[in-house]
Amino acid sequence: MAEIAQDNGGGKGKNHQKKMQIRVDFTPMVDMNMLLITFFMLCTTMIKSQTLNIALPSNEKVDNVENMSQASADDAVTIILDAKRKKGSFDVDSVNGKVQTEVYYYFGKPGGDEGMFGAGGSIISANNNLEKSEFLSNEGTSGAAMDGARGIRKIIQDRNMEVLKEIEKLKVQFREGKIDQAKYDELAKEVRRNENLKKPVIIIKSTPQASYGSLVEILDEMQINSIAKYQIDNMNRADSVMLIDYQNNHHE
Amino acid sequence: MGRVKIAKKSTFIDMTAMSDVTVLLLTFFMLTSTFLAKEPATVVTPPSVSEQKVQETNYVQVLVNPEGKVWLTMNNDTASKWSNEKMRMALLDKVSEIYNENYTKKVNFTPQQKLAFSKLGSFGVPLSQMGEFLDLASEQEGTTKMDNWLMGKDENPNHTTGIPISWNSDENKPNEFQMWMKAIRQTENENLASAIKDGSGVAIKADGNTAFDVIHMVMDNLQTIHMNKFTLLTALKAGDE
Repeated sequence: MAEIAQDNGGGKGKNHQKKMQIRVDFTPMVDMNMLLITFFMLCTTMIKSQTLNIALPSNEKVDNVENMSQASADDAVTIILDAKRKKGSFDVDSVNGKVQTEVYYYFGKPGGDEGMFGAGGSIISANNNLEKSEFLSNEGTSGAAMDGARGIRKIIQDRNMEVLKEIEKLKVQFREGKIDQAKYDELAKEVRRNENLKKPVIIIKSTPQASYGSLVEILDEMQINSIAKYQIDNMNRADSVMLIDYQNNHHE
Repeated sequence: MGRVKIAKKSTFIDMTAMSDVTVLLLTFFMLTSTFLAKEPATVVTPPSVSEQKVQETNYVQVLVNPEGKVWLTMNNDTASKWSNEKMRMALLDKVSEIYNENYTKKVNFTPQQKLAFSKLGSFGVPLSQMGEFLDLASEQEGTTKMDNWLMGKDENPNHTTGIPISWNSDENKPNEFQMWMKAIRQTENENLASAIKDGSGVAIKADGNTAFDVIHMVMDNLQTIHMNKFTLLTALKAGDE
């Protein structure tokens, strides 16, 4: 290896040379390499960022309202994101340095069929159909992805059951090797767009203090639950009224 | 009775193999590494299940800090006709052109200032202060001063960092952020323009705890100038399907 043994040929002559070994000590070299490796390891980013694509509607006012596709009240699910922060600021109200996110939802129209507002714009608390939920991951790790869903995921999943059942069938086929990835993607896309299946239209709204992280989280839920139609929208008056009404009536 | 002879063993450990391994590792790390770019604000992107990787080139990164300050970073293909330097050079020309159309107070940049701009990483100071900012490049320890300015650590209270941004839905009266984004689209870099069109050209990077209000403002600004599709940078979340 790093030593060169000089053989004198085994002769026992006068010119008996002293057996010399040339050894190079590699220890400092290794030390230096280790330092360099440490430097490079600390300075590099191995994991690349992921991205999430979103498309928002144009800001322009649409004159022709009739041509817009309207979600029927049956299919509509409105999700409202909110967060607890320090009063009067956008600072983090720290529990482990994280913003405490809150998620609410209601089906159909705000306030149900009767609406949230009575005569003269009075607020009817009894009609408030807002519910509170949570962001929770699946319970347990075994079994299909559909089992053990909790919180807001469970709610979205229940509304999109018909689509998810079809997707699950495809997944089984994919796992058994009957179809390849490309075919699976194509078929899954078809299922998601299938007009004959009952599927929800999800409207995502956020209060100003809601966290960006929770927005990404809810967009994730859309992916997890194969939701084809969802949009990010602004809060309107009925939403704000319902949210405040709910929070007033459910003090912890 | 002779004594039991204990063979004299050398304590010399051969480090050659070890050295070989470390050199190999070193080579690996050197070749795979991409250095963390220095950014004016440190943000922790929110975790997501999305598996789509961020594209390597042809996008503009919009960095948003929790206070709503905005900086831009260009990511162009260094090998192509539109390298980062060239792109930034063209961008500064374009943005000052748009700025001068909208404001009576004109901005003009000397060739030295343009050259300094072409060498920047992330950028984002109000255009009215851009000249002063770029002049720092020729000073001693100029880059440190510029970094401090960008990070908001400058002692001079007149030096503000972040591209001015405000709620604005009038396309004809763009704010400075919209001017920059418009200028990016108007440079003759077709690769980037088409990437912006299909949504991969603009990436928003923000901290998970940022208030939605802040992000909403940035998104609304982009919507106003018809950039309705963009991407959000997220970190990998493990475990969920």
